[in-house]
Amino acid sequence: MSLKHLIKSILLAYMLLTYSSVAIAEVNPEQWLKLNQAVINDHVLPNYLKLAKQSAELKTSSTQLCQAPNSVTLEQTQTSFINMLNAWQRIQHVQFGPIELLMRSYTIQFWPDKKNLTSKQLNLLLTEANPATLAPEFFNTASIAVKGLPAIERIIFTDEPLKTLQENPFHCQFLQAISGHLLTQTENTLAEWQTYKQEFEYLSSEEGNYESAQEASIDLMKAQVEPLEIIRDLKILRPLGKTAKAKPRRLENWRSKNALQNMQHNIQALHHMYSGVTAYNLSLLMREQGEVGLADDIETQFKSIETGLSKLPSPLSKHLQEASVHKQLLHISEQISQLHSNLEKSMNMLELQLGFNSRDGD
Amino acid sequence: MGISRRNFTALLGSSLLGGSLFSSTLLARGNETLFASASQTSRGLYELLIIDQQGALRFRHALPARSHHIAAHPQLPLLAAVGRRPETFIDIVNYQSKQLIQRIQSRQGQHFYGHAIFSPDGRYLISTENQMSTGDGLIVVRDVHDNFNTIKQFSSAGIGPHELKMMPNGRTLVIANGGIHTHPKQGREKLNLSTMQPSLAYIDSLSGKLQEQVFLTTEHHQLSIRHLDVNSQGRVGIALQYQGDKLDDMPLVAFHSQGEAIRLVKAPTPINHAMKQYCGSIRFDQSGETVAVSSPRGDLITFWTQNGDYLNSIKTTDGCGLTATSTKSCFLISTGRGRFYHYDVSTKLKRRISLELPKGIHWDNHLSNIS
Repeated sequence: MSLKHLIKSILLAYMLLTYSSVAIAEVNPEQWLKLNQAVINDHVLPNYLKLAKQSAELKTSSTQLCQAPNSVTLEQTQTSFINMLNAWQRIQHVQFGPIELLMRSYTIQFWPDKKNLTSKQLNLLLTEANPATLAPEFFNTASIAVKGLPAIERIIFTDEPLKTLQENPFHCQFLQAISGHLLTQTENTLAEWQTYKQEFEYLSSEEGNYESAQEASIDLMKAQVEPLEIIRDLKILRPLGKTAKAKPRRLENWRSKNALQNMQHNIQALHHMYSGVTAYNLSLLMREQGEVGLADDIETQFKSIETGLSKLPSPLSKHLQEASVHKQLLHISEQISQLHSNLEKSMNMLELQLGFNSRDGD
Repeated sequence: MGISRRNFTALLGSSLLGGSLFSSTLLARGNETLFASASQTSRGLYELLIIDQQGALRFRHALPARSHHIAAHPQLPLLAAVGRRPETFIDIVNYQSKQLIQRIQSRQGQHFYGHAIFSPDGRYLISTENQMSTGDGLIVVRDVHDNFNTIKQFSSAGIGPHELKMMPNGRTLVIANGGIHTHPKQGREKLNLSTMQPSLAYIDSLSGKLQEQVFLTTEHHQLSIRHLDVNSQGRVGIALQYQGDKLDDMPLVAFHSQGEAIRLVKAPTPINHAMKQYCGSIRFDQSGETVAVSSPRGDLITFWTQNGDYLNSIKTTDGCGLTATSTKSCFLISTGRGRFYHYDVSTKLKRRISLELPKGIHWDNHLSNIS
């Protein structure tokens, strides 16, 4: 190649590079702000409201159960529990803000419980039956293993819950006390969000929790992207086991037979956050940035995972060891990996770094 | 609440201004306190940045790649920015003349692990390195007075040596042998998690002789001993990184005094969970009584007594870099989101420090106080 040609081709390459780097404009602060506002107002807050509502219902029905322990009130309490659990599964992905305070997230649900702490500590408390452990103050310092949904599940989804509750009024009183504690936690979380949401209302701030709307988006997008790995690793792969037989008791909420529904709620909530918030959402933002193909792929993947989950038999704990179920779950876990990697890709394209030391430390 | 840059000066205490004017050693490199850290810019480039007590950016030096820890020379205005695994460079920078003095290259077949220290007399630069062919850990000693030529190297007594410090006697090195075998050909992949055997090694820096080595029990063999600090009494604080099952609830901090067994300590269960099995940095305060440990994956900093008692924790998003200020129980914290915080363990007051920085800076793993 002659020198002239070489210079010409270098120039051309340079022009192409310059062109392609300006083709997609940087996301502007107004877009981040719009995303934050939409997701907070139409996704986060309504989901916390629902959680607090279901928590209140659980408190009411457990009170009624203790007043008159019969099959009707028990069933009602079990239904309220499932409703609250489902509501929790739809907001579990938000791990920042008021839910972090006082380790509330762990308080509501300490899981997985590898060392079976809930069982050990709850049994001890129920055997001791000390009235002091029913006081709200007790729960301020009590172990996280005994004050959340898993503890309630153990009380109302045992072999013969009605008989146990009728014979041991303290069990019911403790159930009521946990429900009361959960109600306080979920109501306080909701109330504190009324203040905390202000952190998502500005373009930039010197004094606020976030320096810019973009920085505030990082917390929201972490909630969008990171929980997928947890669903895959803890809710699917861990129960399936690496080599040995699948272990149904490693499924989340196998006692109340809700493991599959939990995952469905998780995925639906993430899907809603991604493209279901009508005012504005990540999918729309990506489209505005010209990433239509990737945005479509992510949408398709969400739908396909939802379809995959809907085809699984319930309760999952009963069918986990079936070869076909095993295969379906592995397939879903792969789809979740692909979805996760596409969402990570979208973060790169939007130049949003979800973590520096936290993601690539040494 | 943030605090103004002017207040930052007051916060850092008057003690470091008094007295130092008369010290010839400090005169040689100026008498002010500066803070140095490796960073990544919004464009993905790597730089060494120096911040003054007013929070103003004083110097930025472009690095060839990502680095990890910045070592300050005890007398001269020199900093060593050490390449992160598996990089092969250390940039020696004069921050007064604002010049790159030298780019040290590791020997053929070796690479750095992100940590180095200057000897207290300022004569030697001592780094942890990987002998790639065998995976054996090395301690390499370079002569500051002779263009940083290697004058000796010896075994670190383990695989994957990471942070090292000098014991108060000024001669014995304490080395965190992380135990994890990696080879640049396989990127940063960990090759021996099932057999890893981390250790804390005390080695004579002059002879290279191993004086004492402590290991963890079999149950704890996947706790990588990664970062450490030592106080004036020779108490070693250790920050761990767990490589085992995601659900295990392992101690993530440890303490050691020579001649004793390692004491593993655990924060209360929810805090220990929230530390996400990973600690990124550990530093004693000025008094040597209080210890800060960062857990960037959990956005948490935990505080401990030198004896190993848990004190409290604070949330700090992507917080990792830690350094003591000249005031007892006070620390500066740097974060991946480009922020500095001042925290006083005794008053439990956390305050943000305003920095004059270009947008989008990410502070890397470690923060150094150059005073």
